[in-house]
Amino acid sequence: MEPLDQDLDASELELPTEPMLLNVGPAHPAMHGTVRIVMELSGEIIERCDVQVGYLHRGFEKMCERGTWTQVFPYVDRCNYVSPMLNNVGFALACEKMLGITVPDRCQYYRMILGELARMSDHLTCDGAMAMELGAFTPFLWMIKGREMVWEIMEEETGARLTHSFGRVGGMAAPPTEGFKEHTRAVVKHILTIVDEVERLLLGNRIFLDRLENVGVISADDAISLGWTGPCLRATGVPYDVRKAHPYMKYGEVDFDVPVGSASDSFDRFMVRLAEMRQSARIIEQCIERMADTGPVNVDDPRVILPPKEEVYNTIEGTIQHFKIVMEGLKLPAGEVYSYTEGGNGELGFYLVSDGSGTPHRVRIRPPCFLITAGLERVITGQMMADVVPSFGSLNMIGGECDR
Amino acid sequence: MPSFKLDDKDIAFEPGDTIIRAAHRAGVDVPHYCWHPGLSVAANCRMCLVELMPPPGRPAMMLDVLEWDALHQTYVPQKKPKLQPACQQAAADGMVVKSQTSEHAVRARSAVQELLLLNHPVDCPICDQAGECRLQDYWLEHQASKKRMRDEPIHKPKGVVFGPTIVYDAERCIMCTRCVRVSAELAKDPVLSMRERGNLNEITVAPGRQLDHQYTLMTEYVCPVGALTSSDFRFKARVWFLRSARSTCVGCATGCSSFTDFDPRNQKVYRYRPRENAAVNKYWMCDEGMLDYQRIHQNRVLEARLKGEGVSDAVALEKAADLIKQASPQKTAILLSAEHSNEDNTALLDLGKALGALQIYYTGRPQGQGDDILMSADKNPNTAGVLALSGGKAKPFVDLVAALKEGKVGALIALGSAIGNPNDSAALKDAKNFVAFSTHYGPIADHAGVVLPASSWAEADGTFVNRTGLRQESDRAINPQGASRPAFRWVQELAKLLSLTLPWKKASELRALSQGTETSSPSPSVAPGAQ
Repeated sequence: MEPLDQDLDASELELPTEPMLLNVGPAHPAMHGTVRIVMELSGEIIERCDVQVGYLHRGFEKMCERGTWTQVFPYVDRCNYVSPMLNNVGFALACEKMLGITVPDRCQYYRMILGELARMSDHLTCDGAMAMELGAFTPFLWMIKGREMVWEIMEEETGARLTHSFGRVGGMAAPPTEGFKEHTRAVVKHILTIVDEVERLLLGNRIFLDRLENVGVISADDAISLGWTGPCLRATGVPYDVRKAHPYMKYGEVDFDVPVGSASDSFDRFMVRLAEMRQSARIIEQCIERMADTGPVNVDDPRVILPPKEEVYNTIEGTIQHFKIVMEGLKLPAGEVYSYTEGGNGELGFYLVSDGSGTPHRVRIRPPCFLITAGLERVITGQMMADVVPSFGSLNMIGGECDR
Repeated sequence: MPSFKLDDKDIAFEPGDTIIRAAHRAGVDVPHYCWHPGLSVAANCRMCLVELMPPPGRPAMMLDVLEWDALHQTYVPQKKPKLQPACQQAAADGMVVKSQTSEHAVRARSAVQELLLLNHPVDCPICDQAGECRLQDYWLEHQASKKRMRDEPIHKPKGVVFGPTIVYDAERCIMCTRCVRVSAELAKDPVLSMRERGNLNEITVAPGRQLDHQYTLMTEYVCPVGALTSSDFRFKARVWFLRSARSTCVGCATGCSSFTDFDPRNQKVYRYRPRENAAVNKYWMCDEGMLDYQRIHQNRVLEARLKGEGVSDAVALEKAADLIKQASPQKTAILLSAEHSNEDNTALLDLGKALGALQIYYTGRPQGQGDDILMSADKNPNTAGVLALSGGKAKPFVDLVAALKEGKVGALIALGSAIGNPNDSAALKDAKNFVAFSTHYGPIADHAGVVLPASSWAEADGTFVNRTGLRQESDRAINPQGASRPAFRWVQELAKLLSLTLPWKKASELRALSQGTETSSPSPSVAPGAQ
């Protein structure tokens, strides 16, 4: 077919164009919480963009300065609400570091199992949502089914599906339930099947691959300079995992690998998460084997642990202990601490300042998502408009963590 | 200055000091129940036991003890150093004392604490002391272990009424005898004593007597546990909800330093506590002063009043300005009040000056009972201040009565609520064009044509000059009650309506102007150990 413009020279054909300013969010469903992206488009290409995270502001760090140290747990639950157990444990570890106490082995394994389950739930949500946003609904439903199973364990153990508030300084709110190990084994097995099935469903899918491969690329240097950690950093080939680099609890004693990517694109981030779920399963299995069925979960330290109720009601010592911890709050020695663990999306750090009273003087959280979201601009600039959704999805931004 | 070492810290002392007193002055707390800086040494609680290191070249004094060996289920002969009570042991130069660093002292304290709690009832939830109780604090700091005794604790009398102000609970009592010593040493009325022995010990009132001297609430104040409770404060508030403001007692001319404890949620004052001030009241306050907080909420004028009817602020101010305009400056009289702060009185004086008023009088609450401990017969907190501010020009209330009778007063602007002699109130009845700034109902508010509700001492910062000429500041605790405002604010509003200019605009400027030449109180220490 002959071209339509054969009689015209090029200059006459060019329409006068100017960049289009497009605003997405903060309430757009693809924005994973209240984030706003203002894009300057040239055709379908993003020339420039501005990512704005300030739309969710609860001021939770300030709220922490009102109550006792124990009353911080519900707040950290609501930071990364897809894997709240990791936040609970991270905060408990920070307080324990300040107090100089170590919880019993049984509690450490219990915390690790619950934490890895939470990590699985985090990754299932992220990868499932990514698939769904590209039109693959089945993997999403399967993965959410897997997440549901994790949440059933959480419900059984803590009484709450989502915001457990289950961590305590010096232990956990309750010991493992009787069927905990069996239940967890069954669920992990099921989740591994789901991971395999999802892999089979998606990795042969041309559309899925085309939309992710070589999209949303960021260099390892950029990622490091932005302060990225977690799966997003590891997808760039940097094998930094707090559990390996600075082992805490019993992570130094269990076998697991740190999966890394090579192309640092959205696809690698997807794959790293899938691989991490398998590693989590390995860790969980080892912890289940080593965790004692009986024995104390909480430290034997009356400064931080509430006495059993029958002692509170029947002995003055128990009453005083209860009164002191509830009314004044457990007291962390004056000073400051930075304690960090591997959260669902990377290094979850707690910087605490105590003035020696029962109330936190300052609680500062280093949420992995905040720093990762800071890199979103670099990830999507130069991409097609349609690639924003899967690229953004692959970073797994959790709104609660971007509360600044 | 000689010094000794306490836990590797050098502590200077004056000759005659005990270890605990020198440490207390240096801000180091040796745990104690029975010792009080303002009382004699009893050395009966054994909580302040410390280990004294022997002088160089001399052996330590060791005691033979039998130690229970749980592993072999038998007693093993052991030696341990003889510990000394820090409250009784005189400090000596170069002495080495171990308190928290001595394992023996730490163990002994834990044992003492356990012993004190042996028969203690499970009362924290219903005990007024909970939240400021030594037993609670020291359990956490020095014991932190669970109950080992399996027997039923000894039961003793509860809710024993000692007198009009104090209720005693023998089960909670640790027999530190602080209350006994306060009665004997501070109030000079040895009405309390201890009876029985061992775990049947209890505090008792002398036969045929009640605990009814003027300092009974100090027995409750020094009680380190919840054994003595004040019938006034009992079951009224939980201490952790209360906040404290540094105040000065306005009950009499002594001006004891106090804390005003109030609940910020309902803006109510619940009690006073003495605040340590070596220059005035040392550690103490009298019952009258301690209960004086009640006046903050009693019989208060909470709305502007016109001829006995409540009216809006604007109407009352308008009317007040009208009344003042009725009389010539020569016939306008100013009545200052020794109940009110320097700020309020200065404001009124300034108003008088601006009006050109020539007659200045002062009054206050009637005289009352005084003693040679703390109480003054003059029941006004600021008599000295008022006299100093007016430059001695203020004439007593009797002169005002005479002037009123002679018809020399055409308008009267009065601050305050009470008058020195209640019999004189009839004279006020005939006062014409009478405007008052009153906190309470009384002779002044009852007879004034316009009453503007003034805030009490707890609702505004104020300066008071006590009988020795010491100027002391009292901080605001609660918000002004009802429609009340600090009297100087009313004066300011009134001056505006009268188109007069006052030499100040802000409260801080007024405060600066109201400072007399008296010495101000050295900032009193608030060492928590005084409790």
